[in-house]
Parts: sequence; C-alpha cells; structure tokens
Amino acid sequence: MSLVERLVDDLKPLGGKPAEFKRMVSVTVDSEHIVAAINTVKDAGFEMLSDIFGIDYLQYPQHQGKRFSVAYNLYSISANERIFIRVNVDDGDVLPTITHLWKGASFMEREVYDMFGIAFDGHPDLRKLITPEDLEGHPHRKDFPIGETPTLFNDGRFIDPAAFRAGLTGQDAGLSGHQGGMRRGYSQDIDMPAPNIEANTNRANPNKEGK
Amino acid sequence: MTVKKPDDFGAETTAEQIMVQPGVTVTDLPSASEFETKLMRLNVGPQHPSTHGVLRVVVDLDGETVKRIVPQIGYLHTGFEKTMEHRTYQQGVTYSNRMDYLHGFGHDLAYVLAVEKLLDAQVPVRAQQVRVILNELNRIASHLVFFGTGILDMGALTLFFYTMREREQIIDLFEMVCGVRMNYGYFRVGGLSRDIPDGFVDAAKQFVASFPKMIEQYRGMFAKNDIFVNRTKGVGVLSRETALDYGLTGPSLRASGVNLDFRKTQPYSGYENYDFDVPTSSKGDVNARFMVRLEEMTESLKIVEQALDALEPGPVKDPDRRISLPPRQELETSMEAVIFHFKLATEGFHPPRGEVYVPTESARGELGYYLVSDGGSMPYRVKVRVPSLINLQSLEPACLDGVFADMVANIASLDPVMGDVDK
Repeated sequence: MSLVERLVDDLKPLGGKPAEFKRMVSVTVDSEHIVAAINTVKDAGFEMLSDIFGIDYLQYPQHQGKRFSVAYNLYSISANERIFIRVNVDDGDVLPTITHLWKGASFMEREVYDMFGIAFDGHPDLRKLITPEDLEGHPHRKDFPIGETPTLFNDGRFIDPAAFRAGLTGQDAGLSGHQGGMRRGYSQDIDMPAPNIEANTNRANPNKEGK
Repeated sequence: MTVKKPDDFGAETTAEQIMVQPGVTVTDLPSASEFETKLMRLNVGPQHPSTHGVLRVVVDLDGETVKRIVPQIGYLHTGFEKTMEHRTYQQGVTYSNRMDYLHGFGHDLAYVLAVEKLLDAQVPVRAQQVRVILNELNRIASHLVFFGTGILDMGALTLFFYTMREREQIIDLFEMVCGVRMNYGYFRVGGLSRDIPDGFVDAAKQFVASFPKMIEQYRGMFAKNDIFVNRTKGVGVLSRETALDYGLTGPSLRASGVNLDFRKTQPYSGYENYDFDVPTSSKGDVNARFMVRLEEMTESLKIVEQALDALEPGPVKDPDRRISLPPRQELETSMEAVIFHFKLATEGFHPPRGEVYVPTESARGELGYYLVSDGGSMPYRVKVRVPSLINLQSLEPACLDGVFADMVANIASLDPVMGDVDK
C-alpha cells in the first residue's frame, strides 16, 4: 500500500473525496479542514510543498459547485510520490494560510491572491506578487478582459491598445477619440473631442467633396 | 531615547543597549543622541547589473549587515499563462521557451510532456533522444551563463569571456538545429518539428570531445582559486531543513544535501536509459552551489555523449494523424492528408478532459506544467510551476544577518532568471 493510498484513507474523516486521472491522485477536502488535511499530509512524510495554485472554473463546460479551486501540490522525496490536495472556494471566500507549515508557501499564496483574489487569512505579508500595484482586478479570472480590451488602472486611467499602436506610428487612431494620446499615459486625453468623422469620410471618398 | 526603526521589525533596540559595552561606564561615552544608530532602507535594482535582470530587492541595513530583505518582482510579467489559454496546444511552444530564456529547451520539454501525457501520444525514440541531447546541452549553456555572470558579480571578469566562448559553440549547435539562437520552439507535441540536420551529430560530438578540457580550465580558474574559495565558503548557508521549508529545488537544493533530481526519481523522455550521477554537497553555502553546478556539467556531458551514440535513424513525430502534421509530399496526392493538415493548422487537436502535471528537472529546479483541459483545442488553464520564483524565497534565509556584499553572491548562487520568475 503506497503512501498516497494510505493518505487517501486518512483524509476521509476530513471530507476527503479522492480522484485519479493518469495516475495523479488529488483529494478534495472541505475548506474548513484544509490546514488539518495539509498537516496530515506533511506528517505522513511529504516534505516538500511544490506549489499552490488556483483554477477558475467559471467557463468550464458543465461545471457545478463553487467557482474556484485551490490546489496544493505536495511531494514526498523519501517515498517519491506526489499528491494534490484541493479545496473549492467561492468568490470572496478566505482560506487559512499554511505559511506556518512551510515558509515557502508565502510567494505561492501571494500569487493566488494576486491572480484570483482569494485571500489567505493569517498570511504575514499578503500583498500582490506580480502585477502592478494599481492594476485593478485579478488577471487569471476567466472574466478578466484580454486582447484589445483596455488595460484598466485606478482612477479611470487605461491604455487603449489601438490608440497606443496608432500613437507609436503617428497615424490616426480611428474613431476611438483617443488619437494616440494614451502614449503619454494621462487620463485627460480621454476627454478629447472625437475626430471629425465627416472630414475623414470626405478624404476617403473624393467624389463626395464639396457637398 | 529609542532608535527609530521601520515598522516591520520586532523588538525595539535602544541606543543605550547598543553602545554600552561590558566594563565601560556610561559616563565615559558620549550621550545617546550623539551616538544614534539607524537602519537604512536601500533599493537594489531593478536596473542593477548584479540583480540578473529586473529583480528589485529592498534591503534594510544596519551598517553593512542585512536585517531584512524583500524581493519585489513582476517587472518582466508577460502573462504567458493567460496567453497560452488562448492559443492552441501546438502553439504553446512559442511561449514556453520565452519564460526561462537561458534554458528554453527545458520549458519546451516540460510543456510538450504535459500535453503528451494528456493525449497519450507515442513519441518516437529518436525524437526523445534528440530532446535529451538538446535539453542537456542547454543545461550546460545555462550553467555557463551562471558561472560567467555569477563570478562577474563577485568581481572577477575573466571567466565571463571563457564561458561565453563555450556557450557560443552550444548556441551554434542550436542554430544549426532550429535556426534560432534563443527562443527555440523546436519541440512539437508528439515529437520534433523536423529531423536534425546532417552534420549535427558530428558537430555535437566534436563539442563533447573538447568540452571536458574546458571544465578543467574553469576548475583551475575558480574552484581551486583561493580568492574565490575564501569569498564563498560559509557564505549564505542554507541547511537541509531551511531549504525544504522554503521549497528550494534543483542544484541549489542538492547543494544543501538533498538528493532530488526528477531525471532520476521520475524519469521522462528516456532519461532512465542513461548512466549519470547526481552531484550533491552537504555544505549548503555559495561555494557548494557553484561546485554542484560545475559537477553537473560533466554529468550532462555524459548524457549527451550516450544519447549521441544511441541515435538511430527513424521517425521524429508521432505517426498519429490527429496530432502530427502529415508529410508535405502527401498533400499533393491524398485528400485525407489535406483534411488532417487543415484541421490541425486551423483548429488543432482536442485532448480529453482532465488535469495533468509532469515534473521535470530544469537547470534551476522542479519545472512542471499543470494543464487543465476542458476538451477544447486550447488549454483551459496553464499553470507553470517555475523553479526560479520559488527558489527566490530562499534569498531571505541565505542573506539575513550577513553583510551586504554577500547578498550579491547569494543572488548569483541561486541563479534566478527573471523571465522564469515573473512569467
């Protein structure tokens, strides 16, 4: 009986629901038992906390239950086995920290907080890890805008990609009304008057000139 | 009076406690206000040559002694994980190698292994061998940069030119194989993008034959050099317990006496077929971290040599048409091939639903891609377990209560690559 199989039995009183896919074992536990579960795993001989990460199931087909999952990737060097402990949380839920079990959990929990907005109670230094201080939102949430959507900052500032590119090449930004002003990075440029659409149309269609 | 300190510190120390020595009466000394001692907050980086890219470290110093150290990261954040969620599985290799730009093949390999596990792809033996050859050569190249820049940080310039000379030879080999010197993107899910060119094996064998001499040269230049040894011995000691507590992996963990190498414990891509050792050291200081990597280059060279000898002609792609593009000449005669080509090029394949993780050993430590598939042609979630980010936390225990100059040596010895840290 391997270490992981024994652990799966040990975690059942804590609400542990095991799942296996391609020989990777993960156990989902109730969020109020997460520290106890991780403690059990650590005591069983899993010396290394490899990673903590979040998954947003908002757009996952036929997903039921809570929106987020937080997974703890634990590895036992002595037994050469790996187990994933998972906990499902909703938006706004707070998880207890495990930085008292592994100091290395600090960056991992900060990354989850930064990317998904899941806070960790009792973390000694819970700040954003990677994204800029004034970036609003949590980029790895599935509803975070991507692509041609402006990058949002505090107090209404944002970078509009089309206008930004147009500003770099000295061309007209089109009908967005920003006219490349975003290159200077100031919000007052947003209030600039929209370009004269009729004048632009006339340039494109010389036949209409003089009307 | 009490000394003013930043709020982040624990018990307050008064100036009287600092200045009064045993056997000295207080009246002999100047008043406390004249003798004030202050902690100084110093910003190092992000544009500092010793911080290996854009690492910014905020240090609180008491004189020369480091009392608190906070790495501030994110200056190179590119959102690769999020981008990969909006590209097909095959396109992912464009992004993976850009994270760790010094060991790009390691990231490529970790990514394709995860997708292949999801697909149950059958990678031909030749493709696996070529992957191992390139991955190990890249590991050597990465370590060469580590030595060159690391010792440069400590004030020795010469070695940099020597290591860059050998790295150039390796990069030339990569250029021969995939046409680029840095962001390779040569591996594909199911194999390689194309076979290695004629003459690569000979050129690689020539390099393998010449490199041991160079390792001896490096050994003479710094490993046996008294200045280097005295500078690094006993500096930044990380005990076995501390290293595990902070999640350290890779050569730095092996320098702290933990024999953990995923090429041995969970072999992938045919690493179980090669005979090599895993160098470890029990000292855990900066010197040990340098020495472990020096020995590792010899072991990597052994693997490359064996893999080059074992190379046999054969296919380099999974024959499964649902994964690999059909050969070009078939497109002219077979409608089937055109259909498969079109489907793969426009949409890509659809792995089954599930979540996989394959740990690999990069030049910096445990590297693995956690992929979540929802059955679509793009990964639902990509989470990269990057070694540099987690390893960077060990900077704190290594630097605390040491002098400031040792912090530079510690950063160098932990070998962070900022692309790998910020993703």
